[in-house]
Amino acid sequence: MTSTAALENSKKSHYQIIVVGAGHAGIEACLSSAKLGLKTLAVTTNLDRVGYMSCNPSIGGLAKGHMVREIDVLGGQMGIAADRSCIQFKRLNASKGPAVRGSRTQNDKKIYSNIQKDALKKQENLDVIEGEVKKLILEKNICRGVVLQDGSEIYSDRVIITAGTFMNGVMHVGFQQTPGGRIGDKASIGLSDQLKEFGFDVQRLKTGTPARLLKDSIDWSKTTPQSGDEKFYPFSFTSDRKFYLEQILCYLSNTNEKTHEIIRQNLDKSPMFCGIIEGTGPRYCPSIEDKVTRFAERISHQTFLEPESLTSDLIYLQGISTSLPAEVQDQFLKTIPGLENVKVARYGYAVEYDYIEPTQIYHRLETRPITNLFLAGQINGTSGYEEAAAQGFTAGINAAFSILGKDEFILSRSEAYMGVLIDDLVTKGTREPYRMFTSRAEHRLILREDNTIDRLAGISKKIGITSDAQLNQLFTIKDQRDNLMKTLSATIFYPNQITNDKLVGLGSSPLLKPFTGEELLRRPEMNFGHMQSMGIDYFSDENVTDSVEIAVKYSGYIKKQYEIIEQSQKLEQMNLPEDLNFKNIKGLSGEEIDKLLKVRPRTLGQAQRISGVNPSAIQAIMIYLRGHKQQNKQISL
Amino acid sequence: MFSADRELKTICALMTGSGSAAVAVIRLSGPAAFETIKKCCPSLVKKKIESHKSYLAKFFDQNNNLIDQPLIALFAKGRSYTGDETVEISCHGSPYIVKKILDTLIIFGATTAEKGEFTYRAFMNDKIDLVQAEAVLSVIQSQSENSLKISLRQLEGESSKVYRSFEDQMTWCLAHIEASIDFSTDGLDIVDPKVLLNKLSTLKKDLNRLISTYNQGKIIKDGVKVVLAGQPNVGKSSLLNNLVLDEKAIVTHIAGTTRDVIEGETGFAGFKFKISDTAGLRETSDVVEMIGVERSKNETLKADINVFVYDLAAGITPNDLKILKTLTGQVLLVGNKLDQSVEKTVTTETTKKLQEALPANHIKGHVLVSALDSKARDIILTKTLELLGTSQFTDNSVISSVWQHELTSQAAESISQVMNELESGLGYEFVAQSLKKSLIDVQKILGKVYDDQILDRVFKEFCLGK
Repeated sequence: MTSTAALENSKKSHYQIIVVGAGHAGIEACLSSAKLGLKTLAVTTNLDRVGYMSCNPSIGGLAKGHMVREIDVLGGQMGIAADRSCIQFKRLNASKGPAVRGSRTQNDKKIYSNIQKDALKKQENLDVIEGEVKKLILEKNICRGVVLQDGSEIYSDRVIITAGTFMNGVMHVGFQQTPGGRIGDKASIGLSDQLKEFGFDVQRLKTGTPARLLKDSIDWSKTTPQSGDEKFYPFSFTSDRKFYLEQILCYLSNTNEKTHEIIRQNLDKSPMFCGIIEGTGPRYCPSIEDKVTRFAERISHQTFLEPESLTSDLIYLQGISTSLPAEVQDQFLKTIPGLENVKVARYGYAVEYDYIEPTQIYHRLETRPITNLFLAGQINGTSGYEEAAAQGFTAGINAAFSILGKDEFILSRSEAYMGVLIDDLVTKGTREPYRMFTSRAEHRLILREDNTIDRLAGISKKIGITSDAQLNQLFTIKDQRDNLMKTLSATIFYPNQITNDKLVGLGSSPLLKPFTGEELLRRPEMNFGHMQSMGIDYFSDENVTDSVEIAVKYSGYIKKQYEIIEQSQKLEQMNLPEDLNFKNIKGLSGEEIDKLLKVRPRTLGQAQRISGVNPSAIQAIMIYLRGHKQQNKQISL
Repeated sequence: MFSADRELKTICALMTGSGSAAVAVIRLSGPAAFETIKKCCPSLVKKKIESHKSYLAKFFDQNNNLIDQPLIALFAKGRSYTGDETVEISCHGSPYIVKKILDTLIIFGATTAEKGEFTYRAFMNDKIDLVQAEAVLSVIQSQSENSLKISLRQLEGESSKVYRSFEDQMTWCLAHIEASIDFSTDGLDIVDPKVLLNKLSTLKKDLNRLISTYNQGKIIKDGVKVVLAGQPNVGKSSLLNNLVLDEKAIVTHIAGTTRDVIEGETGFAGFKFKISDTAGLRETSDVVEMIGVERSKNETLKADINVFVYDLAAGITPNDLKILKTLTGQVLLVGNKLDQSVEKTVTTETTKKLQEALPANHIKGHVLVSALDSKARDIILTKTLELLGTSQFTDNSVISSVWQHELTSQAAESISQVMNELESGLGYEFVAQSLKKSLIDVQKILGKVYDDQILDRVFKEFCLGK
């Protein structure tokens, strides 16, 4: 459907769900609701920039790669686009433990965006139009639709805002300020003011992006080429396990004292250091100005030169985001080996934007103050494509489920990184762009990339947007893993001559007592190849064996983690009534009451995670609840 | 834990001992403490009352009968022991007055406090941490100079400080391990495993040092348990009476007079001693005596020091050796009846007999006394303390309770595991799990991690009125 025709049509229609924005969150939101059969409209300010990678040309990484796989098993889109546009693949932390290995693809930005556009175009029940949402149609505290820039109104049952960095976005290059959420795109004005007026706590954040360089102006001989992995572990279980596109090299270079000196001398021209930018920046993805000041003792910072596409001349300068004036950028870039004669296609800049303090939303991502309004992505204070996609997917499913009269879709912290992400946001809020880390997941050992299917196949089936054929694929893998595990524990090796000779031949030690296959595989020197020569018969697909091997080798630790989860379930299962008046509970400090009233935890477990709420407060709430249960009992008698 | 419907109640209890006394003190604490006392003492209503001031006031019951003229001390919310509004009523110490005052307070809306509830409220109001809450109990129960000293240090937060420093060090290691995982792609060397191992090894030493003070803490808090063992009629009962400076045991010249375990207590050199006299250990057909002998054997298992008494005049007999062999732990030999003996020192013959019959390290000391001589007490108790190494007792923090000892030992075990894991090159995410476990144990000790079982254990031993 063309945009003008669609626009005219859409004004007349009533949609069940409107998604504002078509970035990484918006795509997942509108696809998931449309796949559930709801009449969905996506409104984007720029149809050319659907699924655009505004910053780095890569998907995944530690903890982020985990989330991409989770979205994929549940029926989301991001993994598919990332696999099919991958031009370099790396498995990070490959040498560290298996629970913290993360996949990362470097992507052809153009192809990525085209795949996403295509997916939206092909999706039934989904219209996409170009337009700017200026306002929400509100009836008291119920959201009924949106108003576009031309004043036209589109009605809907639910609205999901995925505005990214566009709400009151301002870009900074030196002291030059331009309204906008991204180079080449206008800011979205009006929406956040309306939310502020309604009483939302709206705050400001900042993020930044480095310069894009012209390929031919770089002296590649002064940089170190970096190749990706030969082996591809695609994000999506539906993808081929071989590369779709030609794989390219990235290049490593380093800043030096000269670079840092120039940056230091020009800090007075940095809008961030002069206090012009008020928003808090991402602590974990600092600008080069930040790095030079915060790590003053370091004489060098590494930077990767990453091609943005197989068919463009643009090189992304990873690690050097900046908002210094163009002439200063020119100056310091030229001190970096390989960039002596560099030509800049687009200078780095910082963006400041509005976000909604996320303790104001429920786990289902609906806002507390306005019914039928959902928020997902950077608007909730996160950074990163993957964090955005995870929320977009969750908001899309929940908006649809609430229309269909189904229960909320909420993943727990022990089921998925997506569960950790959302629980952290709505429980702790955030004052800086929130990025996912493996250390945020207390149940990290069981939230691995390799067991995503085992964790989430059942939930995927319940959600209902994964096709039967794909579910079949998921459950086949899961069953094969389960069966292999059973075979291992059922096979017993006796300490006889033949077995022991074989073992010694494999570099292992002879058995002194009977061992199950599982126990044998647990020996550090044993792997599945060895198990095969020991006569264990199995379907040798590493998609099956890898995860079984990890589960066997680390079973002691994994078991312990399950025990910890079980212990914590006691508090997780203690539901707090929604109208619980914390003010009536003796033993809570004023600060604790404020925090509890703000977050309104669903369970005692969640209350415990609110920072500043002490164990004694948990005890007090528990005592209070017990008392009320007793009183209720007395009444019912 | 405390029952559920109490959270808004104002509680009261007698703080001082029961029975007649010159003065008794009643504590009243909770949101309505001031309001309640004003109902009983109308003169306070007109006054502008201030926190931390005392007022002499007439106390009336609900029927306006004058009960007493107590001294009323007021403590405002946030500035009291419990953290709630608190009133301390120092009245005349007649049990009748005390009862009338408590009854009146209850009629005006207060509730009788449960054991330890005042301290529990102090914990709930963040006035003290868990280690300190327990110290309150220890201070109350102190029965010796040394026991009071360690309890007070704990109450002042000395032990908490030590645990907080463990917590800091564990957090430092954990943060660096986590950063090594999550920032591995940023080209930074976060931490050298050798640095971690060094830190952890110091931490382990500190933890083990603290754990080793458990025995010391137990001795200081619970006292030294001494059990007197030996054949019948060697003078154990006389010795007991001398040691505890009291006539606890019946003394006759008839062997088998003492049939049950008799206990006495005494203080010496800042320590409390709990001394048991046992039925003489002999084979007997008398049923009552048999039970006594059995009990004696059990008693010797619980001793810090077993004092084996023999008759110096008779020398070591085969029966003595038989009994000696049954004793476990540290044994102090006491040759009694020095005054009646020809031998005034331990003969080489005796030493030889002992060496032949017993493992070398079994017997830790050997003294000769006369049970009736006042010097015997000094000699035996001094030797006992020497054997326990009390002169080596540190003035630093000590562990004095079972649950602290359990958790600290668990934490130390986890740290050892972490070190093994680091050395074996195991994935950092697994190492982090073991380290986190030790951190949580330490935080449980500090009451920073919620664990209702531990709360229960700490507060259930409290007495009324505290």
